[in-house]
This record gives sequence, structure tokens and C-alpha cells, in this order.
Amino acid sequence: MESRNTNKMKISSPLTILFLLFLLQQTLLSAMADIQLIKNTCKGTPSPDLCLKILLAEPKSQNADLTGLALIGVDAVNNKGLEILKQIVDLKKSRPELRPALDQCAEVYHAVVEADVPSSRDALRGGMPKFAEDGMADSAVEAQVCERRFGEHGHASPMTGSNNVMHDAANVVRAIIRMLL
Amino acid sequence: MNADLEHTTSTSYSPLPDADNHRHPSSSIRRRPITLLSGIFLSMLFFSSLIALILNQHNQPHQHDSRNKESSYAKPVSRGPQQGVSEKSNIELASSDVEDTYPWTNAMLSWQRTGFHFQPPKNWMNDPNGPLYHMGWYHLFYQYNPDAAVWGNITWGHAISEDLINWFHLPFAMVPDQWYDINGVWTGSATILPDGRIIMLYTGDTNEEVQVQNLAYPANLSDPLLLDWIKYPGNPVLVPPPGIGTKDFRDPTTAWLGPNGKWRVALGSKVNKTGITLVYETTDFTSYELLENLMHAVPGTGMWECVDFYPVSTTESNGLDTSVNGPGIKHVLKSSLDDDKHDYYALGTYDPISSKWTPDDPELDVGIGLRLDYGKYYASKTFYDQNTQRRLLWGWIGETDSEAADILKGWSSVQTIPREVVFDKKTGTNVLQWPIKEVEKLRSKVTVYQKVVLEPGSLVPLDVGLATQLDIIATFEIDKEAVKTSVEADVGYNCTTSGGASSRGAFGPFGLVVLADEKLTEQTPIYFYIAKGSDGVAQTHFCADQSKSSRAPDVTKLIYGSSVPVLHEENFSMRLLVDHSIVESFGQGGRTVITSRVYPTKAIYSAAKVFLFNNATGVTVTANVNVWNMDSAHMDYFPFLNLER
Repeated sequence: MESRNTNKMKISSPLTILFLLFLLQQTLLSAMADIQLIKNTCKGTPSPDLCLKILLAEPKSQNADLTGLALIGVDAVNNKGLEILKQIVDLKKSRPELRPALDQCAEVYHAVVEADVPSSRDALRGGMPKFAEDGMADSAVEAQVCERRFGEHGHASPMTGSNNVMHDAANVVRAIIRMLL
Repeated sequence: MNADLEHTTSTSYSPLPDADNHRHPSSSIRRRPITLLSGIFLSMLFFSSLIALILNQHNQPHQHDSRNKESSYAKPVSRGPQQGVSEKSNIELASSDVEDTYPWTNAMLSWQRTGFHFQPPKNWMNDPNGPLYHMGWYHLFYQYNPDAAVWGNITWGHAISEDLINWFHLPFAMVPDQWYDINGVWTGSATILPDGRIIMLYTGDTNEEVQVQNLAYPANLSDPLLLDWIKYPGNPVLVPPPGIGTKDFRDPTTAWLGPNGKWRVALGSKVNKTGITLVYETTDFTSYELLENLMHAVPGTGMWECVDFYPVSTTESNGLDTSVNGPGIKHVLKSSLDDDKHDYYALGTYDPISSKWTPDDPELDVGIGLRLDYGKYYASKTFYDQNTQRRLLWGWIGETDSEAADILKGWSSVQTIPREVVFDKKTGTNVLQWPIKEVEKLRSKVTVYQKVVLEPGSLVPLDVGLATQLDIIATFEIDKEAVKTSVEADVGYNCTTSGGASSRGAFGPFGLVVLADEKLTEQTPIYFYIAKGSDGVAQTHFCADQSKSSRAPDVTKLIYGSSVPVLHEENFSMRLLVDHSIVESFGQGGRTVITSRVYPTKAIYSAAKVFLFNNATGVTVTANVNVWNMDSAHMDYFPFLNLER
């Protein structure tokens, strides 16, 4: 009986409460600090809202430094690129008349996912941000190239939304990388 | 901030002497200490939260010295290398204009490939590595991506030549296959020992992204092709020392002999914003000792990449082995600055006892003074060619078009024509760089123009046939008396900011226009501009103007250049190597050198022309020009090795 009481007392002892409060405080302040880094970083990009959306969607961003945030951005570009490639496969079936443009879009988005993203990612991890910028600059351009292809073939683009997101996201990540230079 | 919090709260952590011992049933007595302490703690919590909030308002993600980031999104024209802005950044960041990317055709893109500059058949290249001469062959290794026309998967490409002009491509010398270079076989240098052994030191990016130095050597020294390389099993031989960042430790130099018979190797690095050169000593190239003294350091220059260190004779015109020292010798210390992507050098004196290098002119120290090349040029490296006793210089020339175009055309980057480097005895303040004599073997037909009088506003077409591969040497005479007696002053003329070749002054610009179409809708002028400072002293500038080099919007259109010393008795002279999308321009015998990348859309193939021009308003210029058409070099895979992929 007595020992149980003792245990209860230990849990609610002032020391334990203070320790828990301290932990809570540290967590809150630390989270605040990193959200501030994310906010400030995004302010320096061409699309701050998109930037926040990308970074906050990844819980690891709370503990990331600037290089970490850039890497999260590169991952987002990669995911969007893969998503777009799937979209292109579907469109080829549903809109066969757009095939020539869609083929060209597939080509440039393969370059994004297979060349640009790995290049930026490796460069960031290796401490060479100057080589990382090119990959994201190119991703933004390739999105424009794909978008333009439809007009060249006399069609309206069915991918404008995706291409715009890719373009803007890649430019956001590029801006973050430039902060490392 | 966190440290402060820990400090303040730790005082509240001293164990409460009575807390665990008292089992007093009276809750009110128990409550008082808790209440008091909670009160103290909560107020500290509140107070420190407040501090944290305030501190966070000032927390900026960008820790570097401020550069006006906001304005870089609005400006369509690059603020130029001077302000640390890389060429690629002049392409709009914020714009989503579809017009920004040019619809390059295959004809335009395939024209861009050079005729006589070293480049692999496809994909991305960057730094030249480990150049050396061995058993009749010159070897060039280079940073290469086997998979794409962007940086990545870095491997050592390998090529050989008997004359530094015609090349054979060989299999990769080294690939990233060890934990200590799995993330990149990065830049390195060769040392040839007196007994003929070849030591290759190179930077590896490890599986944990730490930069380390590794040793490699030829598997078979009697193989003239040096096909196979062995990585020392005990790699890495050097890891970042205390106080040096794990990502700030790369690009080992060629070794030189110290006064105690030990070898010395240098590596660039940084401490905060000070660029430094570390020196290690070794006898066997497997174990090293870091010298206490830095060879040199220059505040504010940032990370030093690709450090190069070598002697030049102040009296003779031959090159010197890296270990030579003594009277009549100065040492060049060169560094590629990561922060502004340019190669800087300075002349100075090396004291082998202290292993310190001191610049002749501290105002023109490494990173704040002379550049090896005022254009698109980086990661350069020299080697001593013992075959011909020359100090030869390689330099990496990246693209200044869009990455999308590079991916379309399937390649990116070239190397310069190797340059011979000598001390400039006439000025004593700089080196001279000159294309190796071997390049002249590509000269075919020559067209000679003598005493062409260029009145102010002249534009004279030169009839030279196909004008995409040329070697041009031009000298210009003006009435120097006119310059001397004139009071005209062009305060603060600067190639980059003074408006290019269409900006007319009393005594400039005058020179050549290359890669121009007939109507000059696209043109690349290379010219001299004589300005008279407010002190009445004439200063000559040598510039290369890309501002109208192409109608495409997605290429760099900067104007490069610098002032160039012109001695009293000298005429103005320039040499140009024009080779499709690259122009190497040498002013006053190589005192000032500018490499340009240009991507015309119209002035290509037979539509490209050459002109002489004089846009000065106050002086007539007399020109003598020799224009050689240049054959292409042979570059192919070495036969019988089944290399084509």
C-alpha cells in the first residue's frame, strides 16, 4: 500500500512535473524556431504559399537546416514529376490525338526525374549547391517546354495545371538552393 | 538560445532536498513548494518564450553576407560575376513566360559542338584532373557524368594525345566504387616522382558525404596508355582535420619537394569566410602530417577550390618542375573561388622553411586581384610538361546556355586549348597565357589584311570563307599622341558595365566582330577601349561582348573583360581562337584572357562572318590582321578497345 502511494507521489512529484513542463517548453520553442526558418526561407522564394505547402507537408522539415529544406523540395519535385509521368500515360490512352505532344512531354519529364532530380539531390548532399541549382532550373524550363508542345501541335494543353505546379515548385526549390550559394 | 534556456532552467533543477523524503499527508504543506517552484518555472518559461519569439523574428535562413536577393528576381539582366551572381542566374526566376525558352533547332544545336576543343562524345564534363605526360602520351582526366548532360555520378574520364590537340578517348580511369568515393570521384592531381612512379591524389566523396583524399596509381607503369588504375587499399589517406568542415576539404595539388626531402601537398579550404591553403607533408604518400602553418589565407574570399601552386622563372622562358625553387623564381598561387565561380591568381614568394607564400602585392592577393580568365572559366589546373619543359594550363569551360538545351543536345562543357604559362618579364606583375604552339598545325588557309585604315565608325567585312573555326591575330595602331594630349576622360570604364561595343568613346571601342551574320543582328565583338582616368592616365581595357551574341533569350549575354597593361612602345594586339560556340580571346600576348561561350541562332555555318570595326569617335585605327581557317581536330575512341557505347 505504502509503496504504491510512493509511486504515485513520484509521478506527480514536483521534479517530474517540472521535467515534463521543461520538455514541453523545449519542444514548443524548437518547433517555433524551425517553423520560423521555414517561413523565412519561403518568403525568399517566388511562390511562398506553395513553398510552405511543400515544406510543411514533410514532418522532417521541422528539424531541417536549409540544405535539408532544399532536399525536401527536390523530393517534392521528384514526386510531382513521377505523378506527371503517370498522368501522361493515362492521357495517351484517353486522348490519343495528343500523342505527339505527350511523347515529347514524357521525354522532358523523364529528364527531370532521371537526370535533374538526382543531380540536384547528389549535389546538395555532397555540399556542392552550385551544381544543384542547374537541375531545378531545368525542371522549371522543361515544364514550360511540355506545355508549349500542345500549342505547337494545334491543341489546348490538358496538363496546364500540372505543368504550372512543376514550374513553380522547381523555381521555389531553385530559390532555396540559391540561398545556399 | 537553447543554451540560455538550459542555463536558466537548470537552476530550477537542483534537487529539492525534501521532495522525495517527505511523505507528509498534509497536502497544503506539499503544495507550497510545488506552487512556488511551478510559479518560478512558469514565469521563466514565459520569459524565455518571449526571448525566443523575439530572436526568431530576426532569424534569417541566409547566413551569408547579404546580397540583394529580392532584386535578383526582378532583374532580367544578370548583375554579373562581380556581384557573385552566377551566369545562369540571369535567367528569370520568377517569370513563367513561355517565351523565355528559345525553340532551338537541331541545326542550331549541333553547330554548337566545337571543332578543335577537347570534349567527350556526349554528356557532362567539369574539372580537368591529373594532367600529365608519360611515355610519349599526354594524359587528360576529367570529371564526367556517364549518364546525363548534367552534373552527377562523377567518374574520371580519360583521354590521351600525342600533341594535346588530337585526342583518343579511353575507358574511365576511375569510377565511384568504394565507400570512400561512392558519392563521387572528384578532382585530383598527378605527381611524377623522380623514379618515374606516378602518384595520383584525388578527392572522394564518401558514403556519408565526407570529403576525403585518396591515393591511386597506375596498375602498370609501362603501359603507355595508363589504362588501369589501382586505388590504394588503405584509402583514404587524408580526412578533414579538426577545425575543417567535412565538406570544405578537396582538390589536392601536385606535390613538391620540401627542404627536408619530404613531399608537400596543398589543399584549399576555408575557415568562416577566409579562404585558406593547408599543407601536408609526406614521404610515402600514404601517411601525412599537417603543417602548422597555413601556406596562405585571404579573408572574405570563401572556399578555395582547385588550388594550384607552381614556380615560374623570372628570367627564362621555359616552364619549371613543381619542386623547383631558388633565385630568379616566383611562385604562382591560384584558387578557384566557390563563392563567385572565377579563377584567381597572384605572383609571390614561397619560403620553403616556413612553407608560407607571400604575395608580391597584397592589394592584388589571391581572390581579390587578377583573374586567370575574365570570362566563363573555372577549375583550371597546370602541369609541368617535362617533354617540352613547359608549364601548361587546362581550364574547364561550362555552358552558358540553358540546361534544357544541354539536355537536348546531349552534352555540356568543353576544355580550353591548353595554354603555356610564363612570367611576364615586361610588366613583372602578371603571367602570360598563350595557346600551345601545336594548335597552329590546324591552320589551313590564311587571309592577310595589311594596313586597313579604320576611321571612326568603320565596319570592314573580312572575306575569309567559312568563319566558324578561325585563328585570328590582329594588331591595331593608333595615334598615341592624340590620346596623350586629349583631356577626354571616361571615368570608371568597366567592360562589364559600360555598355559593350556600341557604347562609343573617344578612343574606343575598336577590334574584331566574330560569329556575326551579315546584317549583324547577331554579333560577338572583341575589342580594346582606351579610357583616360581622372588622373589623366590612359588605361586600356580588353573586352568580349556577348550582349548581342544571340537572339535567343535563354543564353548568357554578359560583357566580360578587364584592364590590360599596354607598354609605351607596344601596339594593341589580340589573338582569337574562334571555334563554334567558344571564343578564346588573348589580349596583349596573353596578359588578359577572356573565354566566351556564344550560341547564335543565325550567325552559324556559312552565315557566320568576321568584321573589323572602329567605334571610337576621336581616333583612327590602323589594323593588320591574319585570319587562318582552322581544320577540326581528330577526337575518337582509341581503336581496338571496343569502347563505343
